[in-house]
Amino acid sequence: MFGFMRGKPEATGTHPLGKSALLSGLRASELKIVEGFLHHRHYLPGEVVFDQGEEGQALYIVLSGRVVICQQGQVDRPIAELGAGAFFGELALLDDSPRSAQARAGDPTELAVLFRGDFERLMEAHAQLASRIAIQLARHLAQRLRNMVSLVPVEAKCQ
Amino acid sequence: MSDQQSDYRSGPVVWAVVLAATCLLLYLFEKVLWLVVPFILALIIYYLLLPIKSRLVLAGFSHDAATGVASSGAFIALLLGASLLLPGVLAEASSWQESASRYVEGGLNFLTATLLHLEQRFSLLAHAHLSSQLAGQMAAINDDFAGKYLPGIAMTIAAWAPSLLLAPFLAFFMLRDGWRFKRFLGQAVPNAFFERTLYLLDQVDRTGRLYFLGLMQLTVLDTLCLAGGLWLLGVSGPLLLGLLTAVLAWIPYVGSILGCVLVVLVAATDFPGDPAVAYGAVALFVIVRLLDDFIFMPLTIGRSLKMHPLLTVLMIFAGGAVAGVPGLMLVLPVLGVMMVLGETIGLVVTDPRLRARHAYAQRLRRRAVTRDLKG
Repeated sequence: MFGFMRGKPEATGTHPLGKSALLSGLRASELKIVEGFLHHRHYLPGEVVFDQGEEGQALYIVLSGRVVICQQGQVDRPIAELGAGAFFGELALLDDSPRSAQARAGDPTELAVLFRGDFERLMEAHAQLASRIAIQLARHLAQRLRNMVSLVPVEAKCQ
Repeated sequence: MSDQQSDYRSGPVVWAVVLAATCLLLYLFEKVLWLVVPFILALIIYYLLLPIKSRLVLAGFSHDAATGVASSGAFIALLLGASLLLPGVLAEASSWQESASRYVEGGLNFLTATLLHLEQRFSLLAHAHLSSQLAGQMAAINDDFAGKYLPGIAMTIAAWAPSLLLAPFLAFFMLRDGWRFKRFLGQAVPNAFFERTLYLLDQVDRTGRLYFLGLMQLTVLDTLCLAGGLWLLGVSGPLLLGLLTAVLAWIPYVGSILGCVLVVLVAATDFPGDPAVAYGAVALFVIVRLLDDFIFMPLTIGRSLKMHPLLTVLMIFAGGAVAGVPGLMLVLPVLGVMMVLGETIGLVVTDPRLRARHAYAQRLRRRAVTRDLKG
């Protein structure tokens, strides 16, 4: 009855957030909900997003540009470089543990930020939606674990 | 830096600033009470309607449309409720004055009978003629009431009515633009302080939300306990009386005393020849207050504010001294918000790494905008 008041139908793929690995499984209406919880930040090349050892409060999604993940201050020896659609700082959504590495912008970068408090509120208000994000998060962490295990020498695995 | 963050505890300077700022805010709030009261009512409406709005957004509505539908729905429900209740209320209105006089008279009779009983027992009280003095003074107040107090009460209601209409108006815009405002505030914060500031905004929002939801839960628990007890005692209108008393308890101390007086008035009038019922009502009230202070409040409001009991009591007195009854009502939520603000600002300001990162980002920005201006 109130269909005329609804927003225009939007395919997931066309929504800028739909391109992110974390949110790719969500419908357009769900992305709109998540968007209401996100903050957008712009960083210059070299600017610190967060420091290693800092208490994490938020997860970051790269909307454009490039982010360098490295040990504190070792920008010339990056651990990873993340482009548009990637996300980082995900452990901050799970606990208060300190950041395990430093994140700096490699290029002019736009980030979407999901704050832990907002994610908890999302879980309270929209459990189904939040569980989809949590599953994506779990998959991502599982993949990282597999990658780490594959890097461990065979002798160490046997022990 | 993490070590510094986890070890951070507010020092005496931060606490002194928090307490002084709370008192100053209460003083200012008392001056603009016409705006503060509708704002608080609007916050309550906002927190009640927010889940409905979120559901509608999830169902595919835009934020603005969801706000419109949720607000219209609440307004229609209010109109329907009013249209159902209003005829009955208007029919009863003519008997209100009579009922009020009856209850006041019943309460006075109970008080006079109690004083007479005490005068018979203690000669010191008999010499003071308390019962006759009280009867004389109350008769004088009764005679002058219509001429002396009624115009003042009517004027107060007339003056407050327009400002109370602000509440739904404010609630609508909180629902529609609240999330935009939070984002707007976030944009004004430099990148270096962003996460910390977000944490601050979240804590302020959480404190406010938990306080108001806790207050609602506390009111429901108080109402049920009082209504159950009054129903067992056989007092008329137990649910309405319980609700009125629970709402009055929002004002620390003063509200509780008023609520107790109200309950005793009704009990003494319903059972004029049986003072035991009025004493029973007082006992019930004391039991519910004890339950409230030691069980219900720590489970609801106390959990949200996490304050030391001594500080809570001292600040309630300070709030009353600075801003009267509004100060008593507002001191705890204002102190809760100021505590979060003080602790977080203290943490951000005293963190040299965050300040250094901000200075570095400023240098980067300056370099970026002046790159083509050199040489």
